[in-house]
Amino acid sequence: MFKHLYKLMWNKRKQNFLLLSEILVSFLVIFALFSFLVYYFQNYQKPKGLDYERVWTVSYDNRQVSKQLDSARLFYDDLERSLKAMPQIREVAYTSANFPYSQSVMNTNVSLGDKVINSVNRYVSGIDYHKVLQMNLTEGRWFYPEDAAAAIKPIVINETLKAEAFGKQSAVGRLFDNHDKTSRRRIVGVVQDVKVEGDYLPSGKAMYTPLDTTDIKWNSFILLKVTEAADANFEGKLYKYLGQRFNNERVEITYMKDLRTAKNEVTLIPMIIFMIVAGFLIINVALGLFGVLWYNINRRRSEIGLRRAIGASSTSVSGQLVSESLILATLSIIVGCFFALQFPLLHVFDVAANVYLYAILLTVLFIYLLVIACSVYPGKQAAAIHPATALHEE
Amino acid sequence: MIRLENIEKVYRTDTVETLAINGINLHVQKGEFLSIMGPSGCGKSTLLNIMGLLDEPSRGQIKIDNQDISRYSDKQMANFRNEKLGFIFQSYHLINDLQVLDNVELPLLYRNSSSQSRRALATAALEKVGLSNRTKHFPTQLSGGQRQRVAIARAIVGQPQIILADEPTGNLDSAMGNEIMDILINLNKNEGTTIVMVTHDESMAQKTHRLVRLFDGSQVQ
Repeated sequence: MFKHLYKLMWNKRKQNFLLLSEILVSFLVIFALFSFLVYYFQNYQKPKGLDYERVWTVSYDNRQVSKQLDSARLFYDDLERSLKAMPQIREVAYTSANFPYSQSVMNTNVSLGDKVINSVNRYVSGIDYHKVLQMNLTEGRWFYPEDAAAAIKPIVINETLKAEAFGKQSAVGRLFDNHDKTSRRRIVGVVQDVKVEGDYLPSGKAMYTPLDTTDIKWNSFILLKVTEAADANFEGKLYKYLGQRFNNERVEITYMKDLRTAKNEVTLIPMIIFMIVAGFLIINVALGLFGVLWYNINRRRSEIGLRRAIGASSTSVSGQLVSESLILATLSIIVGCFFALQFPLLHVFDVAANVYLYAILLTVLFIYLLVIACSVYPGKQAAAIHPATALHEE
Repeated sequence: MIRLENIEKVYRTDTVETLAINGINLHVQKGEFLSIMGPSGCGKSTLLNIMGLLDEPSRGQIKIDNQDISRYSDKQMANFRNEKLGFIFQSYHLINDLQVLDNVELPLLYRNSSSQSRRALATAALEKVGLSNRTKHFPTQLSGGQRQRVAIARAIVGQPQIILADEPTGNLDSAMGNEIMDILINLNKNEGTTIVMVTHDESMAQKTHRLVRLFDGSQVQ
């Protein structure tokens, strides 16, 4: 029977061309949607790699701070001690502008022998940066103050960079050259990936370099881990205190949890819009499919009557209609899969192949469910056709 | 072979009630070639549909091969039609999107038969009607007479005991009609197939064993 139905559908391919095209377009749109959803879901399932609760980010205008390096260093050391002395503050760390959930990005390349690793996020971090964010060291250690005197400057890398550079081997003690091979960095530790772009996006490759004297004069961000006692009153006092220390009022305190929410929204809102658009498309396809099947039943009343006459039960007539729809869907799915499989094969958008493969599976399942849902009722209607009437109409 | 007892068929709408068949008693013997004649609207096709289990009588009993059909489920009726009955229609009812051979195979699809045996039976049936050289054609590429021969091949492919033909020569000229009639007569004579044929053509009806005339739903001869 399957061969018979396939032959029938194949012979009607010109009549079904529009429907086949519609299912194909739906397949591709739903595949795109599922690719995003699988990608986001897989990222969401990974650990955040940090604790953003009760982390405040402080941005300030550093123009009043002396540009003389020693003076600046003394100023910032004193400020750090003063902040740590406050009972509401647990940890303090200076940071570059690209701290987690911020809008800034700082990328660089690193070299490992002849191998160049591109697009590595570089985070300039204070000594207690990992304590403020409660980052998890998986290998080695974080920076010590004594590292400032080391002949080869230390860096800490994340697991993604470690995996790309060294695979499963230990990274500690290994050396990275900078992009133009003018300086070297010794890896002293590996941290768990931190999802800096929000919960739905990957951490990317990351390296943490200690904030040194040359960085300090440009610094304009502080991360604070505060205690539960840090309320709005304390925030006000802190704001005033920092204003006094920097001799200006261009100080801004933001909660990291708010930054995270904003980052997640940047990811989710376009996704929701896409889902709404795709939803309308699916409704359109469902109505189209339903309409075409309904039309086919009316056009094929005599064929249905004939089939009943020569031995088809009402169940097999409705089953035939559903099967025909599934065969049509299969033809479109085969073409759709051909295009969809190019994404993992060509490593499009540098996304893991399994994201696309799961998306293809989900899309195939979704299309089949949609087609079954749209063809069951017309199939029942076809089964209800009275053979004597249908044969007499012709 | 076919026994109709006191068959009545009433079509009802909200306002009108039409008596299409009025108390018909008919016994068709095994191996008989029976024709049914009558003016348009007298209930010939309705009677044939009832015999073919395509329509249910409002009253009365049908027995085919001594089996009371009225208690059959939809599936049992479908199986019964598939195994015991073959249908030929005035307008052929071929599926234009399928080749001749596939059209002939259709009844066998609803049986548990292999693809090879279906193909062999369909080819044999087409040989019987002289169309073995047209297996790959589509119905739209055939003449009316050839289409009706395909329909006959489809009706006999499952080797049914009974063939019900509803004006099989109605759309054909007399030469084509005679060809079709010869095929049916040969089937009846050589294979012993019981045939019930509805026709408007007196000359065709005269070629059959027995003629039943209907008028306004009642049997008048």
